[in-house]
Amino acid sequence: MFLYHLSLIGLLLLCCVVQQFLPPLGAYDARILLLPLVVACGAVTVPTGGMLLLAFLGGFLWDAQQIIYPTRAAEAHSTIHSEIYHTPTETMKFGYSILLYVLMGFLMQGIQPLFKQGKWYLSGIITGVAIFLYLFIEFLLFSFIRGGFEINIPVMKQVSLTALLSMLASPLIFWALFQLAQICKHEISYDSLRRRTY
Amino acid sequence: MRPLNFIALLLFLAGTVWVFTLSEGTVRSIQKTYYSAISPIVSKGGAFEAKANDFVEEVEHSQDLARQLEQAHREGDRFKIIASRVRELEVENNELLHALKFQKQTEFNVIAARVVRNKPLNWGSTIEIDRGAANDHIGLRQCVLASNGGLVGAVNQPGDEVSSILLITDEASQVSARIEGTSENGILVGQRTNYGSTPRLKLLYLSKSAILQKGMKVYSDGRGKSFPADIPIGTIEDFIQGPNYGEAEVIPAVDFNNLKTVFVITGPPGD
Repeated sequence: MFLYHLSLIGLLLLCCVVQQFLPPLGAYDARILLLPLVVACGAVTVPTGGMLLLAFLGGFLWDAQQIIYPTRAAEAHSTIHSEIYHTPTETMKFGYSILLYVLMGFLMQGIQPLFKQGKWYLSGIITGVAIFLYLFIEFLLFSFIRGGFEINIPVMKQVSLTALLSMLASPLIFWALFQLAQICKHEISYDSLRRRTY
Repeated sequence: MRPLNFIALLLFLAGTVWVFTLSEGTVRSIQKTYYSAISPIVSKGGAFEAKANDFVEEVEHSQDLARQLEQAHREGDRFKIIASRVRELEVENNELLHALKFQKQTEFNVIAARVVRNKPLNWGSTIEIDRGAANDHIGLRQCVLASNGGLVGAVNQPGDEVSSILLITDEASQVSARIEGTSENGILVGQRTNYGSTPRLKLLYLSKSAILQKGMKVYSDGRGKSFPADIPIGTIEDFIQGPNYGEAEVIPAVDFNNLKTVFVITGPPGD
């Protein structure tokens, strides 16, 4: 099991690199979100502890890549600067993705029984739902801290298309996870189900 | 709850609290480490992608040429006239390019950089360029211009080989700007979502009685020393009177959808 978790972390790092080369597609900047996808798909194959580890690492790496800190702090010593730019734009706190990823992870763990029954395709569909919710909540958080609540059709199209594209890529991730489990001699099992059977 | 899960949850909470209490400086150094780790891959990948695009463009160009040649055979004399006009334009274009290059060299000390990635973020507006701190002395806050001299943004995350530029179209970006021919100054910000053709900017904190006309030019004013003064930003599209301040909609001078090469002003901004 340890080896499988280690390989999941490896897959996460690999996806972090591959994500760099996945451009936005179409007019609404929709793209395949590989890193959240690995967290979501991986969460359904591991127990809660593993899911938490995956969510923490995934969220940490994602924020290292995505968080934008405008340079205001570096310029805070300049009185002139703070007089001119008196209302800097608020930004998200580093680490917020960890919380969103863990929510996504718990959602995925909720359908572990179905996954255990071999209905991985249902998990694939729920992956799309999880990524949709993740992006939508992220957008709401941005609106909350920056003000200007604006949910319009283009935003919904971006969120939906990104979730759809990621969902379509989920079979590939599940296939990779099954391969890894096989190599690591790990049985993808659901502990609480096993306990119930006893 | 099983003891192991409980311990995992406690560890997770401790880790999350640690991450949330990181200072901005620490986060920046984490991001710098991250960018340094991935920049060789992004740089090589970007170069490969550029080669692939060049190849595709060349193939498309070849097809266009074949079509044009076929058409030229049919149209004969008309093609000759067009070709001579193209040659004239080419000469004129070369002259203008030289003039622009000369102008740039006299005004700023700049480094040309290729855009290796466009819009890598979900919600933010950033680009990544193939220049970094290691060889090209790219530093935080350095101003970035387009080939037409328009303001693109500022370096927000300098890596060793690849640097991230926060575009002026991003909501987090702020530029102090003035409107040509008036005494109006304001803060120019981007918008959260920019889809499709031309992104729009907002010029905030103008006086509500400002008399503005569509097409008036907007320039950076150099206040706050974040950006040098007199860099073209865009043109006024619309003006809205608010209860306390006026707000103008600005069309940027730069075509952000087709940015391929940018110029980083080296040396301290505002100087």
